[in-house]
Amino acid sequence: MPDLPELNPVVHGRLRLALLSLLSGVEEAEFTWLRVKTEATDGNLGAQLLKLEEAGYVAVKKKFVLRKPQTLYRITKTGRQALTEYVQALKQLLGPSI
Amino acid sequence: MPNTTEQELRERLDLIESMIGEGRRSIESWGWAFVLWGVAYYLAIAWSEWSHSVWAWPVTALIAVAVTVVVASLKAGNHPGTTLGRAIGSIWIALGVSMFLLFLALGVSGRLTDQHLFVAVMSAILGLANGASALILRWKIQFSCAVVWWVVAVATCFATDPQSRILFLVAIFLCQVLFGIYSHIAEGQQRKRRSPIHA
Repeated sequence: MPDLPELNPVVHGRLRLALLSLLSGVEEAEFTWLRVKTEATDGNLGAQLLKLEEAGYVAVKKKFVLRKPQTLYRITKTGRQALTEYVQALKQLLGPSI
Repeated sequence: MPNTTEQELRERLDLIESMIGEGRRSIESWGWAFVLWGVAYYLAIAWSEWSHSVWAWPVTALIAVAVTVVVASLKAGNHPGTTLGRAIGSIWIALGVSMFLLFLALGVSGRLTDQHLFVAVMSAILGLANGASALILRWKIQFSCAVVWWVVAVATCFATDPQSRILFLVAIFLCQVLFGIYSHIAEGQQRKRRSPIHA
C-alpha cells in the first residue's frame, strides 16, 4: 500500500487556501478585492496573508494611487508550486472517489 | 493531517474550484455590455432603415464604445487583471476595431450595397469572437451563441431580403440581449451563493 501524502498545513487553512486559489487566477490583487471575494474580516484576512507571506507563498507590494495607499498581493512561484502539490495530495487522498 | 475527514477534503477541493472560478465570473460580469451592444445594433438598424445614412452604424458604434468604456471603468474598481481577462478582452477589442474600419470604409466608398453581405460578414465576425471566448472559457451557452451567428452568416447568403433581416434581428435578440441578461443573472446568483470563508 503506498504512503498517503501529508497535506501542507500552511495551505490547508480554509482562508489561506481560498486566498492562494484566488491569487493563482489573477496577476495581482488588491487587499479589498480579496476581502470582497472571501468575505473575511480585515484582521483575519491580514493575519492569513501575513502567514502566506512568511511562508514565501505570496509577495506584497505597496503603492499609492491618487494619494491613497494600495496593497497588492501576488502568488509566488513557490506558492503556486505549494498549491499544485496540495491539489495533487488531495486527489491522492480522495482516491478514485472523485 | 490525521483528523481530516473525507468530507473536509472534498470541501477543500470545492473551495479551490470555486475560487479559481472567480476568473470566469469576472467575465460573466460583462453581461451588460452584450445587452448594450444588442440595443446599439437595433438602434443602428432602425436609423439606417429610416434615413439610409452611411453614418448610422459608425456613429451608433462610436457612442456604444464611449458608453462601454465609461461603464467598464466605473465597474472595474479594484478588480485585478487576469491573463484570461486580457485574452478575452483582446478578442473583443480586435473585433470592434475590425468591424468599425471595414464597415466604415465600405459605407463611405459606397460599396456596402448588399444587405446580405453586411449581415453575413457581421454575423461571421461575431460568431468568431463568441466562439473564441467560449472555447477559452469552456462556456457552452456562449458557444451556442457562436453557432447561432454562424448559422445566420450562412443562411443569409441564401435568404430573401426580409428573411435576412429577420434572421439578423432574431440573432441579435438571442445572442446579445438574452445572453447578456442570462450572464447578468448568473453572476448575481453566484454572488448570492457565496458564503464567508473562515480561517
